[in-house]
Amino acid sequence: MLLFFHLPPLTKTLLISLIAILTLIGIMVRPFKWNEAMIAMAGAGLLLIIGLINPLDALTVLLNDWNIFLFFLGMMALSALAEAAGLFDWLAAQAARLAGGSSRRLLLNTFLLGSVISMVLSNDATALILTPIVYTLVTRLRLPVLPFLFACTFIADTASFLLPVSNPINIIVLTTFHLDLWTFLRLLFLPGLLVICINIVVFFFLYRQQLKGSFDAKRLPSAAASIRHKNYFRYTCTTLLLVALAYIIASATQFPLSLVALGGAFLLLIGALSWKQITFKAIGGQISWSIFGFIAGMFIVVRAVEDTNLTTQFGLLLLHLSGGSSLGSVLIGTLGAAIGTNLVNNVPMAVVLTSSLRGVQHIAPSTQLGFIAATIFGCDLGPNLTTVGSLATILWLLILRRRNLEVSGLDYFKIGILVTPLMLLAGALTIWLLLP
Amino acid sequence: MRVLCCLDGTNIEQVHKAVSTMLRADALIIGIVYVIDSGPQGEIERQRERFLRRPELPSHRREQMQQAEITAAEDILEEGGRYFPGAELIRKEGRPEREIVNTATEWAADLVVICPRSAQSAGPPLGPKSVGHVARFVLDHAPCPVLLVRPIAREVFPIPR
Repeated sequence: MLLFFHLPPLTKTLLISLIAILTLIGIMVRPFKWNEAMIAMAGAGLLLIIGLINPLDALTVLLNDWNIFLFFLGMMALSALAEAAGLFDWLAAQAARLAGGSSRRLLLNTFLLGSVISMVLSNDATALILTPIVYTLVTRLRLPVLPFLFACTFIADTASFLLPVSNPINIIVLTTFHLDLWTFLRLLFLPGLLVICINIVVFFFLYRQQLKGSFDAKRLPSAAASIRHKNYFRYTCTTLLLVALAYIIASATQFPLSLVALGGAFLLLIGALSWKQITFKAIGGQISWSIFGFIAGMFIVVRAVEDTNLTTQFGLLLLHLSGGSSLGSVLIGTLGAAIGTNLVNNVPMAVVLTSSLRGVQHIAPSTQLGFIAATIFGCDLGPNLTTVGSLATILWLLILRRRNLEVSGLDYFKIGILVTPLMLLAGALTIWLLLP
Repeated sequence: MRVLCCLDGTNIEQVHKAVSTMLRADALIIGIVYVIDSGPQGEIERQRERFLRRPELPSHRREQMQQAEITAAEDILEEGGRYFPGAELIRKEGRPEREIVNTATEWAADLVVICPRSAQSAGPPLGPKSVGHVARFVLDHAPCPVLLVRPIAREVFPIPR
C-alpha cells in the first residue's frame, strides 16, 4: 500500500530497494554530518509512512530483537560503571608497572589488556575507554604515542570474537543463528588467538624503531591513585568477575546474554549509587542512546527488504559464489563482510548478512556454519581495514592529503591495509580447518 | 640573531650541539618551541564516531589527557632550558608543522633549527623519506632559513654511483 493505494509488487520492490540503498548510502556518506541514527530512522520512517512495511511487522521485528537492544544497554552501562570505579585506569597503571620500564613490554601488555577487556566487556570498552587512558599514560612516560594508540584501536576489534559478548555484532548474528558456546568457541576462539598473535607480531615489526627505548618508571602514576573509592572498586571487581562467569554459563545454556549484562550493570549501579560514585545523569550521559535508533532503523529497513525477497537473492548469490563448499563459504563470507563493514558500518552489514543467510534454504550444514562464522569474523575484524570507520572517511582524508594537509588518520589506514588482509586470510583459513 | 629551536622530546642534544658548534653563542637569542600534537586527540574522536558516539571525550578524560600533555611539554621545555639557559620557552598546541611555522613568524625568528624526524620514528637516515612530514612542511613554509640537523649517518655511504 502506498498511502493506502495498492501498488504492483514490482513497484513496491523498487521503492523499498531505493529507500534501503539511499539509507545505506546516507550512512556511508553522512551528508551534512547527519547522525547515522537519524539516517537509519528516516529510512525506516519513510517505509512506514509510505506503507511499504506494516507497522505491526516493524513492531514485531523490534520486539523479537529485544535481546540485542538490551545487550547494548547493559554493555554500555557495565563499561561506564566500571570506568567510574577507576578500574580501567588501575589496570593500565598495572600493565605499565609490569612492563618494568621496557617500551616493548608495555606495548605487549597493552595488547593483552585490550584483549581481556574486549573479551569480557566488548570492543567498545577497549576502543572508547582504554584508548584515552593509554594515551595519557604514554604521554606521561614520553613514549611515542601512535604505536600504543593504534594497538588499542586494533586490538579492540581483533579480540572481539573470543566470546559471544566480546562484540555486540556477535549477539546480532547469534540471535538469529543459535550457535551453542562450544561451537562458537571451536570455530572462533583459535582463529581469534591466531589473529591477535599476527596483530602483535606485525606491530612489533612495524614499530621496532619506536619501541627501542625504555621509560622512566618514576613517571608512572600510582595505581592506587586510580581507585576513587576502595569499597566500590572491590565491589566492581567482584561483580565483573561474577558477570564474566555468568556470561560463560549463559552462553553455554543459551540464556539471554542481555539479561546477564543488565543484571551486572544493575548490581554495579546499586553499588555506585550507594557509595555516591555516579549519578543517574552521569550514567545517562555515558550511554549512546542514538545507537538504539540506528539499530531499530536498520532492523526495519532490512525487514522491508526481506519482504521483497532481495536478501534471499543476495544470500543465494553468496552461496553461488562460494560454490557451495565450506572453504568457499568462509572465504566469501569473510570477504563480503569485511568489504561491507568498511563501506557502511559493521552493524548494518551484520543485519543484512544475517537476514540474507536466514533466507537461504537447502544449504549444507558445514557451509551454513562457515557463513555464520565468517559473518561474525568479517564483521568484527573488517573495520580494522580502514579503522577510521568507512570508506567515505578515507576518501575525505585522501582529499585533505592532496591539499597538502598532513592527516594522521591515513597512518591508521596504512597499517590497516597492511595487517588486516593478513589477519582476515589467516583467520578465515583457520575457521575453515575447524569446520566439521 | 633570533634562533627558534624545535624540540620533539628526543632531540635536545642534537639541536644543542648544532647551535653551539655552528653559531656564535654570544650573538644569539634562543627560543625553544614544543608543540603538543592535537592529532592523536583527533584520532580518538574519529574512533568514537565509528562506534556511534559523540566525538567529544567525557570532560574528565579530556582534562586528564590535557594534563598529561602539559606536564610532558613542560618537562621537555625545562630540559631544553637547561641546555640553553635564558632561552625563551614557547609551548604551543595544534598541528606541529603549522604551529612551528606560525611561531617562527610571530617570534620573528631569523633561523629555525629542526631535526628531520623524531629519534623515535622509523624513517630511513637518508633519502626523501628521511625528512618527516613536520620538518618537510617547515622546510617548505618557514618564513626564514631553516637549519636541518641530521644525525650523522656515515655508515650508509658511499651511495651507489
